[in-house]
Amino acid sequence: MTRSVIDPITRIEGHLRVEMEVTNGKVSDAWVSGGCFRGMEMVVEGRTPEDAAQIVQRICGVCPVSHSHASTIAAEKSYGITISNNARIIRNLIEGAQFLHSNILWFYNLAALDYVNPLNALNANVADVYDLAATYYNTNEGEAITSTNTDFVALKEKLTKFAANGQLSIFSGNWFDADEGTAYKLTPELDLVCTAHYLEALKMQARSSEVAALLGGKMPHVMTIIPGGTAFVPTEQKLDDLKAMVDEIYNWVSTTMIQDTLALAPAYQDGLNWGKGCGRYIAWGVFEGQGWPYGDDYIEQMKNRYMPMAVLDENLKVSDVEESLITEFMGHSWYKGSDTFTSPYFTTEPEFTEYNVEDRYSWVKCPAYDGKPMEAGSLARILAAYQRKVPFIVKHVDEFLVKLGAALGLPGAAPLSAAQSTLGRTAIRQVETLYVATLMKEWVVELMEAVKSGDSEYFRKSQTITGEGTGFWEAPRGALYHSEKVKDGKIEGYQIIIPSTWNLAPMNADGVHGPLEQALIGIPVEDVEKPINALRTVHSFDPCTACAVHVTEPATGKSFETVTSPWGVK
Amino acid sequence: MENQATISEFDSILSSRGVTRRSFMKLCGAVAAAAGLSQLATPRVAQALEKSVIGATKGDLYPVIWIEGASCTGCTESFAQIESPDPATIVLDMISLNYSETLSAAAGHSMEEAKAQTIAAGDYILVYEGGVLEGFDYNTLRVAGETGNVALEEAAEHANAVVAIGSCAVNGGWMAAHPNPAGALGVQQYLQKVGITTPVINIPGCPVNPEWLMAVLVDVVLLKDPSLIKLNSFNMPEGMFGQSLHDNCERRGHFENGEFVYEFGSEEEAKGYCLYPLGCRGPQTKSNCGVVMWNNRRSWCVQAGSPCIGCCEANPNNPGQNWVEVNTPFYKRHRDLRVGGLVFQPGTVALAVTGLVAAALVVHGFGMKKTGRMDGGADFETIRKWDKAHPEQSIGTYADAEKGGPILDDDALYEANAGHARPVRGKIAADESADSADAEEN
Amino acid sequence: MAHLAHYREAHPLLFVVTHWINLIAMIVLIVTGFSIHFPFWPLFMGVARGMHVFFGFVLFLNCMFRVIAAFFVKTSPTGGTRKQVKDYKTWLPQKDNRHQALEWVKYYLFLRKTHPLGAKLGVPQKLSYLLIPLLIVLMFWTGLCLWAPTMNLGAMWATTTFLGGLMSVRIIHYFLMYVFIVFMFIHVYLANVEGFAPTALMFIHKEHGGLVYDPDAHNIVGEDNIKH
Repeated sequence: MTRSVIDPITRIEGHLRVEMEVTNGKVSDAWVSGGCFRGMEMVVEGRTPEDAAQIVQRICGVCPVSHSHASTIAAEKSYGITISNNARIIRNLIEGAQFLHSNILWFYNLAALDYVNPLNALNANVADVYDLAATYYNTNEGEAITSTNTDFVALKEKLTKFAANGQLSIFSGNWFDADEGTAYKLTPELDLVCTAHYLEALKMQARSSEVAALLGGKMPHVMTIIPGGTAFVPTEQKLDDLKAMVDEIYNWVSTTMIQDTLALAPAYQDGLNWGKGCGRYIAWGVFEGQGWPYGDDYIEQMKNRYMPMAVLDENLKVSDVEESLITEFMGHSWYKGSDTFTSPYFTTEPEFTEYNVEDRYSWVKCPAYDGKPMEAGSLARILAAYQRKVPFIVKHVDEFLVKLGAALGLPGAAPLSAAQSTLGRTAIRQVETLYVATLMKEWVVELMEAVKSGDSEYFRKSQTITGEGTGFWEAPRGALYHSEKVKDGKIEGYQIIIPSTWNLAPMNADGVHGPLEQALIGIPVEDVEKPINALRTVHSFDPCTACAVHVTEPATGKSFETVTSPWGVK
Repeated sequence: MENQATISEFDSILSSRGVTRRSFMKLCGAVAAAAGLSQLATPRVAQALEKSVIGATKGDLYPVIWIEGASCTGCTESFAQIESPDPATIVLDMISLNYSETLSAAAGHSMEEAKAQTIAAGDYILVYEGGVLEGFDYNTLRVAGETGNVALEEAAEHANAVVAIGSCAVNGGWMAAHPNPAGALGVQQYLQKVGITTPVINIPGCPVNPEWLMAVLVDVVLLKDPSLIKLNSFNMPEGMFGQSLHDNCERRGHFENGEFVYEFGSEEEAKGYCLYPLGCRGPQTKSNCGVVMWNNRRSWCVQAGSPCIGCCEANPNNPGQNWVEVNTPFYKRHRDLRVGGLVFQPGTVALAVTGLVAAALVVHGFGMKKTGRMDGGADFETIRKWDKAHPEQSIGTYADAEKGGPILDDDALYEANAGHARPVRGKIAADESADSADAEEN
Repeated sequence: MAHLAHYREAHPLLFVVTHWINLIAMIVLIVTGFSIHFPFWPLFMGVARGMHVFFGFVLFLNCMFRVIAAFFVKTSPTGGTRKQVKDYKTWLPQKDNRHQALEWVKYYLFLRKTHPLGAKLGVPQKLSYLLIPLLIVLMFWTGLCLWAPTMNLGAMWATTTFLGGLMSVRIIHYFLMYVFIVFMFIHVYLANVEGFAPTALMFIHKEHGGLVYDPDAHNIVGEDNIKH
């Protein structure tokens, strides 16, 4: 029995430690620890819901829009505001831009380095690279199947120059030699194509953020999603810029991401055998649907989202969310007490003891739905949409599974259960990216039509300043929950449950591991210094720990006594 | 890609000659391979790797360690959105980014090794994103089995300079806002506390604008000397944080014309009028956002219709002066003031006090009326109360013209001075005796 | 006829002028200040800002002139007399005011029924006038901290930093305006509650009869019935 520790986990958002017990070359036990506590809910306490919608974005620089959105929805539910149709479309566009940004960045720039070795690309024969790009997932003869925007010759020159200089920059301390050099399995030619796409992706994720910036002022941390609607009012020039950028992103996504995924998959096929997790899923739904407005029926609203809400059990059976079934347990986290709290507004008080996997070992709390750990994320959303029979998702998931089966040399289509694995979770997300890119194009047209037809309502003022409400929403990383209680325009209680809190949860009261911990158990580890398959599994969840760690309700304990002056905390 | 247009133009030329672009590019590749260009490189990398995980310790690239403290990764994200130069060019051609929690290929142990080797090799700069957390003996931030401050100290001590990016790194940012639950502060203040004297360059913003960071990095990389960057007293680059956002705002003309947006989503908003009445912090926030703009200069907060919320406000020496505390509520002209548990708007208090004074004056006026003082006031005292009680220390002479000595009888004194008898109003006479009674008691 | 005679010697013409300037400047500053704080009358904004800056300088310079003049110009230290001393003396506490401050407070709180003697304006009033130049200077200074052309000057920036940033300066500047308003309320009230003679003297230099006071003997020495 040996311990294998990855700390820090890189290419994620925030600070994460994974500790594993390795027995006979396999992970037999695992503990995931979120390493940072900042106290968001305590900071928004006593401020206005409008302020909160701006401040809570700062939980996470990768998915700020979702936090802003969820907080805004919570405020609108509190105040009983239904936003206008224009505001709905604009907010969908901002959220969609962030999803594209996040999904592209995550796949190519964060996760891909677990599979792609850009230094190996130095050995590529560039002529073969062009052949490969044309045939690497072969459907239409004679046509480049993946994006070949990059001049591979120039890229190789660039890499050569970089290598000749000898400084490794972001490749310092890489794991390319893990498992005695067998961990990275791509040919140099495929590595070069993927490296090219890594670089193109850097531009495309930036272009996606640019869309968010056009509508939201800047990204990260957009400015225009506000309780009541949006501060953005489109102009002709903004609309045509928007259309051009959205088209450009769609074109790139549709010619690159699924193709690259299928090209990578055969080399890492064993990744289908592990990393399942807890097998239960939650998705609160994202992108408000076309049948807007839905009146007071929140469940109907969530079910009609483009990515609909669903709670899925072990057999992927669908049910609707019930807020009262959400609980949080603190017994293994650095908070006082070992109680289980029911949503909303759990009272917790941070208290660091020591890092001890037998006792308390994380700043992340342990949430449960109906007493059980749940997985959130893109996979959960896709399964939810699939089970709710969203046409685009059903069509493209089925198509993807057929292509995956073919790529892996399976007798027929890959089963849906293949998605419930390290590789599957990593791969299926591309279908969502394509869906969002497609939707963005539709929304742009929808917005243009609405504007042309003379609809100029973007903001509705609230008629009250007291109330309570919950924003059920989705970040790219999964189900996001913001709940607030407002009195006389000031927040009295604020509660956030973030996707990574679900995924990175420590053990619950019954000693059942959280989803990522469960996913890690059983993974083969050849090299305890560089447990690459564990790292791939962690990345498949796209964790976001800064999001995951937070605290509710102001604690009045000693540790929080601060000297106040009229000018604030000194 | 912005070069797509060119490519497709080129494509059409090629295809007009019966050559597909792919086959042309493939030919280029074959030529390059024949020239043996890249074969040289591989052994060098292998050789370098034998010695260290960071490869060569010296070379054309300026070594950079990028540590994320208590951050949301927003500043790294923001950096990744830069267009010219693009991030790939930066990390491949300009700096050797040996440690970055978000971008590094490495993880875990080998990641820490890369950092240690970079520090040992020296001549690097440290970019620090996120706040420093002191809460629970620094355990509110734990990285690589240690508390977060350890990594900062190690890397900062030997760096040529520390670039603190984002308002969190400058003074704790939103985390330092009341009640500052995690004990956040900025890098400069923390380093001062522990006696590390490495120069600090502060670049605030939530997140940092990549253009700002890039400008500083280009200066450092090209000039090799961080001390050449002109900083203000907050150690912020003067060129970026010397003028208020308001000074360079594209809506400034509307401000001057008096054309304002009073409500979100209004007709005025559609016309791009000034957002000042919605609490815009432009006039008091120093940054050049309106000039460099954001995300490939696509837009910025005000252009998109949102008032500035002052995210660049950050006094590196005072976490209490963080942008959230200073600027909330964002859509009101003034911040909330906090006295103990009380939170209030300054204007409300000022108005209340003024109202109270006005009301008190009205009430007082009725009192004056009732006591008959409105018409010329009450009669003057003839002898001061204190003088009467302390004749030997009296500053008054109250002189009797004939006898010379002081007259301490009110009526006599009055008559002596005024030349006629003191007018007697029943009321006043009674009051006088009441006053005398007071004096006797004293 | 229980007030002291109001003689021009109490407010020489020069100070009538400075008082007028103060009045106009303060009112303009308050109105434009409110407008800048929140543009309730949008089209006024540009003009308001220009006027605010201009009259800010006027008020400050007038205040400086007035303070300096106090060392050269003679005025009566109290009503009811034509005797004069250097004006600054009438501002600062004098022998004549000893033990009278509390009596004035008592008078206004209806705790005593007769008017106390001493001081041109009542002792607490006199003390509050001492604060006005300070207030004007503070107002001017914080104004410069907020005004773009001067905000970055070393001393201004140091002040801003000391006070906790521009938001703090802005709030202080705004609060001080209310101090002015409160002062004006009280000032106008006290000057006129017992009759408009003091105002007539201050604004149009019109004298008014009343008791004659001898500041050396510290008591009322007669009566002057100026016909009016």
